[in-house]
Amino acid sequence: MVDFCADDTPQLKAWREEVRTFLQTELPNGMHFDFDFEEDPDRWAECMDFWQKVGRKGWIALTWSPEYYGLGRSAAEHWILQEEFAEYGAPVYPIIGMQVAAALLRHGTHEQRRRHLKGIAEATVLWGEGYTEPQAGSDLASLTTRATLDGDEWVINGQKTFGTAAHMAPWMFVLARSDPQSSRHKGISAFLVPLDAPGVTMLPMHNIANGRQNATFFDDVRVPKDCLVGTPGNAWNQIWFGMGGDSLMNGAPGPDHWYARMTRTLKLLRRFVAEGTRGGRPLSDDPIVRLQMAELEVEVETARLCGFEMHSNVVTGSPRAGSHIYTINLQQAYIKELYTRFAQGCMDVMGPLAQVQHGPWAPMAGLIEQQYRAAFGNHAGGTSQLKRMTLATRGLELPR
Amino acid sequence: MTIDLNFSSDQEQIHRSAQQFFRAEVPPELVRRYRSGREGEEEFARDLWKQMAELGWLAMPFAEAHGGFDAGVVDMYPIFLELGRSLAPVPLLETVILAGGLIAGLGSGAQKDRHLGAIARGEAIYAAALGEDIASHGIAPTSITARGNSLSGTVPLVSYAGSADFLLVLADDQSLFLVDRTAPGLTLEAQPNIAGMPLYAVTLADVPGEQLGGNAQAVVEAVVAKATVLQAAMVTGAGSRILELSTDYAKTRTQFGQQIGKHQAVQYRVTDVAIDAHNTGLLALHAAWAIDAGRPFLRAAAMAKAASSRAAARMPEAGHEVHAGIAFMIDYDLQLYTRHCKHWEFSLGDRRTSLEQVAALPA
Repeated sequence: MVDFCADDTPQLKAWREEVRTFLQTELPNGMHFDFDFEEDPDRWAECMDFWQKVGRKGWIALTWSPEYYGLGRSAAEHWILQEEFAEYGAPVYPIIGMQVAAALLRHGTHEQRRRHLKGIAEATVLWGEGYTEPQAGSDLASLTTRATLDGDEWVINGQKTFGTAAHMAPWMFVLARSDPQSSRHKGISAFLVPLDAPGVTMLPMHNIANGRQNATFFDDVRVPKDCLVGTPGNAWNQIWFGMGGDSLMNGAPGPDHWYARMTRTLKLLRRFVAEGTRGGRPLSDDPIVRLQMAELEVEVETARLCGFEMHSNVVTGSPRAGSHIYTINLQQAYIKELYTRFAQGCMDVMGPLAQVQHGPWAPMAGLIEQQYRAAFGNHAGGTSQLKRMTLATRGLELPR
Repeated sequence: MTIDLNFSSDQEQIHRSAQQFFRAEVPPELVRRYRSGREGEEEFARDLWKQMAELGWLAMPFAEAHGGFDAGVVDMYPIFLELGRSLAPVPLLETVILAGGLIAGLGSGAQKDRHLGAIARGEAIYAAALGEDIASHGIAPTSITARGNSLSGTVPLVSYAGSADFLLVLADDQSLFLVDRTAPGLTLEAQPNIAGMPLYAVTLADVPGEQLGGNAQAVVEAVVAKATVLQAAMVTGAGSRILELSTDYAKTRTQFGQQIGKHQAVQYRVTDVAIDAHNTGLLALHAAWAIDAGRPFLRAAAMAKAASSRAAARMPEAGHEVHAGIAFMIDYDLQLYTRHCKHWEFSLGDRRTSLEQVAALPA
């Protein structure tokens, strides 16, 4: 039955209040922080300090089993928590750890879960991602990093690129080809790799939005046999496509994280419009600005509703628009293209000062200028072109 | 209760019935017959209307006393989805949702008994003359003035006025009147239009009306919002058919020795249709839920309207790009959607009007 409300019971309403009170207490002044576009160590420390407080409440692992540091709470409670965090503008939890957790909770061994989930649940151990390679970006299935079994160890050789936050992380979640005879997605396995292992080298790659990504080289890096997650050669189905690519959210997706960023920015932009003037007239009376703002409002609302749809599809197991692959690729194509359009739309509202980064002339302390640059990071998790091609060929069954 | 975007089993049942009915009873030839814009042609398919009355669809949103079951907007949503997909030439939105909604919201007991009963049984057609925000170009003023129960003025774009038995007319002081369409002093001027829709400029010269309730503003606002949401459902349904036509064509048409759907440039235009139809449906379903749940809904409805106006403009464009020459031919069905989408784009307020509503309502 159609319902866009997660908290229809007094218990869930009380839970929402509890989350809201926590945020008001722990982040009284808010925190505009994007883990993938931030290098300042003090700001990182501040963010992780906040997330460790969340971790101590048990809220990072809210839905996980108590056996693995979780609270065993419902998908609805998870949604409410994520929704409150998004509406409050709290920093998004560095997403790769959550992907590792989702993979381990589904396909990890008891020992792997006991060993790794604690650090993720407490926000004390960050994870880097080792998916993309120089010659395997959109075409991830063509990756060539090799993992060879030698006695009780896997030996990893190859190169990963564009690794977000990997330099902050002691561990990396690495996709590598474990069957040399295999081609494409068959024969790819997932590994939990300690980045202090001999043979690992990392070089910085600075992005245009103030963040650091990394090139990571693996030269005869030996990891114990039990670093493999799931069954050999099945990472594609078990870990990647099995859960819909980049929405690996442990069976209870929250609001889209790009939505969370846009709604945070839009709130500040509304205030800018309410207070600003142009040509002696309040911006809020300018019919062009009003239409521009309304366009942004409609699109960000659409992105918000996409989160409800994804949650409903996963939790009820009944994809509204036919299939999971159809919905996720459609939503991702839309939201990724929206993200850059949104950033430009904010600049259109703001006018010439939108280009200024710092100082008294910079509106919103240069936030829109930085968000505009950050918007070109919308390829993370796959480009919008890739999402459209997948929507066309797998969702609509157009020929390949 | 939790987040769930799926229809209830009753709504699923309604959806299946609507699918079967419109797909069996409304072939494109029927749409062509009533939407060719030929003079002297019937404005809507009376047989279809009679069958819909027998199915109980014309009474659904009314109270039990008038043959309905107080159906919510989400209950009506699947019917409008399929109606839009089939382009069925019937005044369901105009007579049941708009006029019926206004009479149910403002009428006296006697007015409701008489008029809702007639609508439910399929015996009478009602059209709504609520006025449109239009760009005037030197033609007559469009507002209606009421002196007592006597109405004068012109409303420019009234759907189905030619076959209506009664009109609901909104005066500029926000009072609402029932007007007998055959009353002396009432004249109709047909407006030939792209969709072949029966559209008229309705002029009243001291025409007597029967007033409904008092200040109608809030009820009119709510009923129009409800109608825009169900109109967005129709646009979504039409989009699903445009998507199907475009996908099928891209799979079967070959050029350069392969199916054109292999070309990513073509795939892009097909996915444009999918995205617009999907997003419009999502916004419309959300607004429908908000209305039924008794939550504030004007902003959600305005957003659904804004999205549906844009989708109505863009989906046929993408469909034509995929099809090229064949869809430019009058015998091909895509053009039926192209024409009707233009009507929906502007009907009940254009994109500019709905965006201004969004801007005026706080988030």
